[in-house]
Amino acid sequence: MLAAREKRAEFERQALVHTDALYGAAYRLTRNPRDAEDLVQDALLRAYRFWDSFEQDSNCKAWLLRIVTNTFINEYQRKKRSREVLDAASAEQDATDGVLVHADASDRQTPERALLDRSVSDDVQRSLDALPDDFRTAVVLCDVQGLSYKEIAEIMHTPVGTVMSRLFRGRKLLAAALREFATTQGYVRDEAPKPGETADPKDKTIDLDAYRAQKSREGSS
Amino acid sequence: MSLCASIDTLSMAYLDDELAAEERRELELHLVDCASCKLHLDAERADLQLLRVALVPPPAPDTVKAKIARALDSEDQRAARAGRKRWARYALPATAVAAAAAALLLFVGIGMKQPHTQAIATVTHEVVRQQTRPLPLEVQGASTGSWLREHFAPVEPPQFDEPGIQLIGARATAVQGHDAALLRYLVNVGINRVSLTAVLIVDVRQDMLNGGEAVRIGNLTLHLADADGQPVVTYVDDKRIGYVFTSERMTMKELLSIVVTSDLIGRAQQQLR
Ligand SMILES: [Zn+2]
Repeated sequence: MLAAREKRAEFERQALVHTDALYGAAYRLTRNPRDAEDLVQDALLRAYRFWDSFEQDSNCKAWLLRIVTNTFINEYQRKKRSREVLDAASAEQDATDGVLVHADASDRQTPERALLDRSVSDDVQRSLDALPDDFRTAVVLCDVQGLSYKEIAEIMHTPVGTVMSRLFRGRKLLAAALREFATTQGYVRDEAPKPGETADPKDKTIDLDAYRAQKSREGSS
Repeated sequence: MSLCASIDTLSMAYLDDELAAEERRELELHLVDCASCKLHLDAERADLQLLRVALVPPPAPDTVKAKIARALDSEDQRAARAGRKRWARYALPATAVAAAAAALLLFVGIGMKQPHTQAIATVTHEVVRQQTRPLPLEVQGASTGSWLREHFAPVEPPQFDEPGIQLIGARATAVQGHDAALLRYLVNVGINRVSLTAVLIVDVRQDMLNGGEAVRIGNLTLHLADADGQPVVTYVDDKRIGYVFTSERMTMKELLSIVVTSDLIGRAQQQLR
């Protein structure tokens, strides 16, 4: 029992202090406070169950973010699908069985909740909605969480070069969308594109390795 | 070489503090001489700052933190209970049947008062007990389906239409005197790969796998039970094949979310036609 209590205290000290950061990542990944709650809760419970596999002295926040991101990547779609199946099933049961108690009614169905859901679908969220998952994940891990290219590459199981190009294109698309919303809402005047921004970001090559390789070729010649 | 050609890459890595010290110095020197690159980098910096401000997320609501604390409490209780079972080799998952049902938007009939106390079927218990003995598989990979039809019964292994769930293999077994086949799947759960077992049992009565909480999904009636901390989902089809799904390291919520996306639902609907 003592060991269990120590585990809990240690987990609270090292992991739970990052709850806000994890929620922030989950919020930007799922783009929905309800899913963000589920995601961060699932991820932390999972981290707690697998706490003995965490290497002490390594970066706990990065470890937790990896669980959040993987849970999002691996299971978000699965979960969404199963929720659709269950929603359909419960609607059917509702129709055939008469009065039923909604097990989660207090949590999900209140008008306040609906209002909250609506008020956060702001410009940022809409811009994020438009991004492919891979781009959004790279941007969230870098610009919301401040992870390095290398840490992001490990989480996403891709080379650093891929992280850089996803990040570059994700940021460009996001900046353009934000600017567009701001313009249509009248927050800023419609400006001419800045220098270097006329080209489609897809046409630009972001490759630090190639730069370094060329550099070292020139240096040795 | 001219740095101008690589300014997109360099300014990005510079602003993200990913350049080596020497590369940074070289770029900074270049910016003194090259107005165009300087302009580019300043514009990128301004964009990035705006972006990062726009992306600042809200902090976690206190209700979330309270929920997490409660989830950890029940995980602790579950682990303590499981620790008293000699055969329980792992700290078992936390989410109680009721919580899983709540989270997955299940409807619970008013008449159902104490789902936890309902005895679970002896057959189910036997399956869970068997599963803790890691027996070798008799067949692996793609030939599992044909092995099943040849050695067991004219049934298909439950299929999950996604790459995260993989059928590893099967072995023949027996449960309470009934022929049975044990199918092993691997599932991506977070950063871990977790094994999921489906035991198919021939010639079972509709009520033999009852116990726990009954949940109807379409034409399918699943029973959700908690076998000493281990989640179990059971189902009997109209050919009297019983299905028992369980996993040592999953919560009921995780297990159920996987089972309901299997092709059993489609099969149940076909049987009615
Ligand atoms: Zn230049």
